[in-house]
Amino acid sequence: MNLNLKAKKENTYDAIVVGTGISGGWAAKELTENGLNTLVLERGRDVKHIEDYPTATKDPWELPRADQIPYEERKHYEKQMRTGYTISESLKHWWIKDTDQPYQEEKRFDWIRGYHVGGRSIMWGRQSYRLAPMDFEANAKEGIAVDWPIRYDDIADWYSHVEKFAGISGEALGLPQLPDSEFLPPWDLNCVEEELRDAIDETFGRVLTIGRAANLSQAHNGRGTCMNRNLCSRGCPFGAYFSSNAATLPAAAATGNMTLRPHSIVNEVMYDEDSGKATGVRVVDAESGDVIEYYANIVFLNASTVGSTAILMNSTSDRFPDGMGNDSGELGHNMMDHHFRVGANGEYDGHEDKYYWGRRPTGFYIPRYRNLNGNDRDYIRGFGYQGGASRQGWHRGVRELAIGSELKNLVTTPGKWTMGMTAFGEMLPDHSNRMWLDHDNTDKWGQPQVVFDVEFKENEFKMREDMKNDAAEMLEAAGMKNVSTYDDPGGPGLGIHEMGTARMGRDPNTSVLNEWNQIHAVPNVFVTDGSCMTSAACQNPSLTYMALTARAANYAAEELKKGNL
Amino acid sequence: MDSKKKNHINRKEAIKRTGLLLGGVVFAPNILGVLKGCTATPGDWTPTFFSQDQAQLVTSLADVILPADGTPAASEVGVPQFIETMVSETYSEEQQDRFLAGLDQFAGEYREELQADYFDGTDEEKYDFTYHQNQLALEAEPGGEGTPFILMFKELTMLGYFTSEPGATEVLRYEANPGIYDGCMPLEDVGRTWAT
Repeated sequence: MNLNLKAKKENTYDAIVVGTGISGGWAAKELTENGLNTLVLERGRDVKHIEDYPTATKDPWELPRADQIPYEERKHYEKQMRTGYTISESLKHWWIKDTDQPYQEEKRFDWIRGYHVGGRSIMWGRQSYRLAPMDFEANAKEGIAVDWPIRYDDIADWYSHVEKFAGISGEALGLPQLPDSEFLPPWDLNCVEEELRDAIDETFGRVLTIGRAANLSQAHNGRGTCMNRNLCSRGCPFGAYFSSNAATLPAAAATGNMTLRPHSIVNEVMYDEDSGKATGVRVVDAESGDVIEYYANIVFLNASTVGSTAILMNSTSDRFPDGMGNDSGELGHNMMDHHFRVGANGEYDGHEDKYYWGRRPTGFYIPRYRNLNGNDRDYIRGFGYQGGASRQGWHRGVRELAIGSELKNLVTTPGKWTMGMTAFGEMLPDHSNRMWLDHDNTDKWGQPQVVFDVEFKENEFKMREDMKNDAAEMLEAAGMKNVSTYDDPGGPGLGIHEMGTARMGRDPNTSVLNEWNQIHAVPNVFVTDGSCMTSAACQNPSLTYMALTARAANYAAEELKKGNL
Repeated sequence: MDSKKKNHINRKEAIKRTGLLLGGVVFAPNILGVLKGCTATPGDWTPTFFSQDQAQLVTSLADVILPADGTPAASEVGVPQFIETMVSETYSEEQQDRFLAGLDQFAGEYREELQADYFDGTDEEKYDFTYHQNQLALEAEPGGEGTPFILMFKELTMLGYFTSEPGATEVLRYEANPGIYDGCMPLEDVGRTWAT
């Protein structure tokens, strides 16, 4: 009895954070800075900033096989390879092996993920955009799914809060559909991108700006200036982009209030019928297989959209037979991503005496311009474009007549300027797009496998027509030659922006979380990763996860101090 | 947003500024000791996947595509070994068979036309034959899986060459830490195509 009590005391914290990615890092930072003794759990291995980035400073000739993995290894990454860019010698250690972490697809779903401290905050694209007032209002206005329980004004200060810490480079524009962040100086456009900017402004009244990125254009909060290597996903030895490892977790550790425990797979959130609250989490140690219970007053789920949703689904009790917080039946439903891989490419004649220095860690961005003032298309919502211009490199010599010294001479001078742009479109929440757990098929740690049944629907496909044709039209307006379009949606999930499966809402009967990201019926459990999203908007979502997390964590800390949790 | 401040700088200035910027950050000790290990070890290559004849052909063909002419030849930076590694380690069996069949066919056609082995040909004979094969392939190419052998080979040769240290740094331009970004500067201040 005494031993048990002692063990329970040793395993008791003020707060538990599940996950160390973009949102988990923020939960850890804000909770610990509020003085809460916080246990931070990560299912994968530890990754220490800089020292655990094994490929960060490798030159091309230091990577075997020109950075390609052996054919034999491909079988481990059949799904993770679907992006075309995730699995290489320099990056493969950041992504799970599908053979270790199986999941099932009723319809194709590309669940691309990495399990280690820092999660996908190490490999993310760093594009950082605020959602706009119109994004929080759209569901209510159009009668889609449910209304967001918050408005832009509820989150604006929290955007500022996270931006000031993270460091977001970009250009202030004052656009209502894309509110400005607290910006560090922007990167430059190159000369051909400036041509496109001027042409689409003149021809269509559309805006093109430099991509807003969580890359440091100047030293910031003890982290170094970006060196323009554009090898961010390997981990940055300068700490020049935002990741949990470089930014939030060191801040949390500095408080002395964080206990970080890697190799900890959370199996379920434990629930106490009498208090109507969660008591903690049950963990499977990924190395030993031991099952351990940890206790806390509040639990933050930041295990990624699918991860957090799966944990809640697996947290069953008499009160919650269908998963914790699932009174509405919406848990696992309304899965969204962004639909993309549609756009155009072209070539530019001119500026042949111009070139660039450095590998910029961002491209250009064309903010949404469709359906801004009422809907005048045959679809609702909209899309933005991401793209860039560059000059052709040595590869263009492959399909040239030149061989020998002529070939060397040819490719020593850069080729034509080419430009490409890809649209990122909003995907609507739909109850039929869902994930669930298959308890008959488990992974090697005994966890049920996730099954996906998600598809793009009519609104997305209609939108893609504009996404494709507008891209070509804009490139042509800038005088591009040989303009070609493409449209290859791939599977949902490929945007690696999965979200929506534990949505926020005003009504416990139709949503899982309230306006503070609390489970309606279990107020000491907060879910602040992508699963909370009520709609997707068309902007890259990570900045919003950061802001929602910081907001919820500070609220939770205050409520705890008041004795309300 | 219409008036972007241009930041034209010459090459010397850019390098100076890079140095300043690099000097201004705190390096972690472990990244100071970057080991410069080259994957290519030209000269001591013993083929393990190719036969001796295939290896000789691969070496001579790679050197015709990228010869020594003030900067190193393909074989001097380890390209033949790189090609063997790529074919043996990153290709499926079917792709390997296609590559080897293409290599044999290339050798056979040369032998038929010039009554000798490719690797015994004069520089001019090898160049003319290879130039013609490349030309035919470009005219015929259907694209995709059907990429003609000579174009597959040319691409592999160029990939190995321009990801080698001499190819990237002496023939093209490479900066591990560019330091700054300038989106629009005179080409002459950069000088050559960026390797990455």
